[in-house]
Amino acid sequence: MNYTLSSLIFLPLLAALVVLLLPTRMQRGIKAVALGGTLLQLAVAVWLYLGFDGAKVANGQTGYQFVEKLDWIGFSLGSLGRFQIEYFVGVDGVSISMVLLTGIVGVIGVISSWNITKNVKGYFSLYLLLMTSVMGCFLALDFFLFYLFFEFMLLPMYFLIGMWGGPKREYAALKFFIYTLIGSLFILVVMIGLYTSVIDPEATAQQMGLIGQDVPASLDMVRQVQQMLQQGAISEADMVRTFSIPAMMEPANFIPGSLLHVFSGVSLFDLPIRFVAFLLVLAGFLIKVPSVPVHTWLPDAHVEAPTPISVLLAAILLKVGGYGLIRIAYPVFPDAGAYFSTFVGGLGVLSIIYGALCALAMNDLKKLIAYSSVSHMGFVLLGLASLTNEGVNGAIYMMFSHGLISAMLFLVVGVIYDRAHDRMILNFRGLAKRMPAYTAFVVIAFFASLGLPGFSGFIAELLVLLGSFSAPEATGMLPRWMAIVAVIGLLLSAAYYLWALQRMFFGKYWIFPELRGKAQLTDLTKREYLMLLPLAILAFVFGIFPHLLLDKTGMTVTGFTELVLRNGQEQLNILQAILQR
Amino acid sequence: MEEQAAQLPQAIDSILAGAGSLLPELLLAIFFLLLVTLDLFKSKTVKRLLPWVALTGLFSVLVLLVLGPQGIDGVQFLNLLRSDGIARYTGILFSLTGIFTILLSLQNPKIERRKQGEGRGEYYALILMLVLGLNLMAKSVNLLMVFLAIEVVSIASYILTLTLKEEKKAVEAGLKYVLYGTLSAGVMLYGMSFFYGLTGSLDYTLVSFWRSLLDASPLMVTVAAILVFAGFLFKISAAPFHFWTPEVYQGAPMPIVALFSTGPKMAGIIVIMRFVAAFADPTIAGAFADVQLFLGIAALATLAVGNFTALWQRTPRRLMAFSSVSHAGFLLMALLAFGSDYTVSVLFYMTVLLFMNFGIFLFLQMAEEDWQVHTLEDFKGMGTRVPFAGVMALLFLLSLTGLPPLAGFMGKLLVFSNVWEAYTANGQPMLLVLLVVGILLTGVALFYYIKIPYHLFLKRNQTAENLVISLSNKLLLVFFALPLLVLFFKPDLLLQWIQKLLA
Repeated sequence: MNYTLSSLIFLPLLAALVVLLLPTRMQRGIKAVALGGTLLQLAVAVWLYLGFDGAKVANGQTGYQFVEKLDWIGFSLGSLGRFQIEYFVGVDGVSISMVLLTGIVGVIGVISSWNITKNVKGYFSLYLLLMTSVMGCFLALDFFLFYLFFEFMLLPMYFLIGMWGGPKREYAALKFFIYTLIGSLFILVVMIGLYTSVIDPEATAQQMGLIGQDVPASLDMVRQVQQMLQQGAISEADMVRTFSIPAMMEPANFIPGSLLHVFSGVSLFDLPIRFVAFLLVLAGFLIKVPSVPVHTWLPDAHVEAPTPISVLLAAILLKVGGYGLIRIAYPVFPDAGAYFSTFVGGLGVLSIIYGALCALAMNDLKKLIAYSSVSHMGFVLLGLASLTNEGVNGAIYMMFSHGLISAMLFLVVGVIYDRAHDRMILNFRGLAKRMPAYTAFVVIAFFASLGLPGFSGFIAELLVLLGSFSAPEATGMLPRWMAIVAVIGLLLSAAYYLWALQRMFFGKYWIFPELRGKAQLTDLTKREYLMLLPLAILAFVFGIFPHLLLDKTGMTVTGFTELVLRNGQEQLNILQAILQR
Repeated sequence: MEEQAAQLPQAIDSILAGAGSLLPELLLAIFFLLLVTLDLFKSKTVKRLLPWVALTGLFSVLVLLVLGPQGIDGVQFLNLLRSDGIARYTGILFSLTGIFTILLSLQNPKIERRKQGEGRGEYYALILMLVLGLNLMAKSVNLLMVFLAIEVVSIASYILTLTLKEEKKAVEAGLKYVLYGTLSAGVMLYGMSFFYGLTGSLDYTLVSFWRSLLDASPLMVTVAAILVFAGFLFKISAAPFHFWTPEVYQGAPMPIVALFSTGPKMAGIIVIMRFVAAFADPTIAGAFADVQLFLGIAALATLAVGNFTALWQRTPRRLMAFSSVSHAGFLLMALLAFGSDYTVSVLFYMTVLLFMNFGIFLFLQMAEEDWQVHTLEDFKGMGTRVPFAGVMALLFLLSLTGLPPLAGFMGKLLVFSNVWEAYTANGQPMLLVLLVVGILLTGVALFYYIKIPYHLFLKRNQTAENLVISLSNKLLLVFFALPLLVLFFKPDLLLQWIQKLLA
């Protein structure tokens, strides 16, 4: 077996252990180990990206690459058959982009953390722990494993915000923790429901003795087992229940009579229970995305978090929400995905507009950028809800591009905050005179984020808008006004960025009198160049050569949309027939 | 008289035949007497040896239960006791409870250095007596035996609460406990007398017992059942019979609080479990819905009271009191998944509860005795002064909350899965409500459990010099924390073993 993915996940953990073993006073050594760990992780991620064959993926159920599958927890529960949790990781077109992003941002984050002085050991071990859990989240194909990493992310983040953050850090950290924990509890309910409803056809065939232990099942065998299952020809004791996400994506793997089976006919609050389950998962991931109206933790967390942690939060952690929707919510509940597409798209549009309007009203530069994140994440929802190839590709592209650009934006805010210990827009004017290089990067970051052609953000927004414009004809999803309203969001984002730029950077140099004594407004240092320049270049490269990413994601997305639309329509018809009866 | 005399040899034979399965209890009784006798000697060396004698006793019981031969599964002593896999496994848990209590007591300066060891003998002897009572509780299948076993545990508990009788709050706690306890015992006994009057028997394993109940007036049965359950719920500190918990937790010595939060709770759950298991008989299974409704409401109330009241607590002891109430709710909920294969999950949950509760109470004991921390606020900034213990406390608290990667999550996952299974099987809306409430309350639970790490790590304090933690305390913390990690990553090891014992 190939251990590339495991090394991606566990390299930072190893580095964290080394950090813990180093004596506290070796601050440079600790930083070097953290940098080395993340650099190695990036190297493996790039190697994986190069080795990933974008043409190979046929559809969402098979065709994962670099797969590692090991038995982890398994025991028989008497009459209930076997209970099975696997260490099951693999990449497809969606995860490969997120893995690459995590690798890049991880290194940038360490460089940006170089001036941390308080409790360096604790900081970097938590940082590396966070990197492990984020990477694990993007690679897991077993729902339990995914959930483990998903929930474990909260803990290091809580302490990173709460111990190294700003004045209201305790409040912000707690709010972040509680919000996202509630979200993951919604997901937990559905996870339990799914695993009691779904079997693993291969392991079941082995349990029934149709094939020997450790013999992979042929496709015919899988079909045969699925058929027997649906006819009720498999005894309870032979069913091997599983957390495997690919198994959950096949409707034929659902046990007849289980609650989440399409034919179960159970409804809650006048909705089929599958719809309720989808809404729960959706709510869980929407908190993470975050989408209006459950976004309120984000501005607080961002404002209080130290710069590198804001970078990680915006660039990677938010992506887990969108990723979870693509990996779990839509493929497992395609019927509900299709049914609620207008709702999800509507939330997306709402986030775009509301986030942009809030950003327009902010006086704190960091809050402005936090709200711009909300606005941009709305595009992910819109693209996803369109269920067109362009839209979903655009959603993934948006996540990747926003990862690069938001990292840059938060770094840029960090630069001014380090110097002036203040980041209110109205306290500065004409900074371009004093800090020309800094201003250049601010301009690049702002323009890249507002979607100027030539930067990655443009490609992403273009694809999402194309997808959502064509959705009414192509897939029957989304009313057309949504795409039109989303365009207004673009205008608004231009407005808040340009206005901020004008107020802070252009005109005659002036800063708020009380800041004058404290602020040392020197231009960028070498370390700051080192973190800003690569991001700017990458945003540019992915804006000029979109095929770098689209070649990897394209086939996966095609498989995804086909699966969701085909299964979705079929199951929706069944569910609606049952509902009407 | 004549008839009874004729049956006597038969009865004696049956008692003798069952004696073998009572070996653990006999051992405990022997060591109890040994401790009481040794306590009569005034020599300091003997006094110092007392805890170790008690430990030897408990440890030999543990070894006997783990390695000993699979006993005869069956009902002994004239249908009073039943020794089976459940009794054996919980026996192991109770011995561990006793051992952990003594280990914690050895680390507690208040208990160890008190007036030249005055009252040490009775302290350790009573712990043995309590463990003996717990074992009997888990084995009883007759209402009379249940009552006697519960009383053995209760009386030992009353005295143990009063160990530090020179402290005012200990006396207050002890008094409240005795008053509540005797009242609930009386109520329970009253209910049992109703049952006896209605059925002519106290043996609830008999199907005829239940049949006569089904024939009797529903009002009478309901009243009787509520009275009996009041006694059970008191023992596991479930709402609305939990009022003694915060007071006792506030006043009793820390090792005894840890003991109360685990041992009697587990034994009480097993008593209810055996009671409920009678409904497996198909002829009376239909009547289970009522019991389920009643216990379901109790579980919901317990979960709600435990979790929401814990939010307002200012001292770690009271916080843990309500935490233990909420865990009683989870255990009750686990029992309601009746119909699915829930026994293994309940036993697993208990095992996890044992380790995490003793872990956190050890931490709180260190905080109270060594660092003079008495309220949650006092933890302010301690995290940097005791980083190792702080991280360990974090592990215990997260496990109590039920977050991965700790065994508390696994325990909850198993319980929730069983409830979901049971809901799929019989569609009782109560189960779904319980499931959703139980899961959502985990979010509330985080809010209060995180308060300790919040003050430890997020708040800052002026003094920063490191505090020394004794090696034995460090080792004990690791000893309690390690199983929590192992049982998350490889729960099947324990689950399979439990299954083997139950088979």
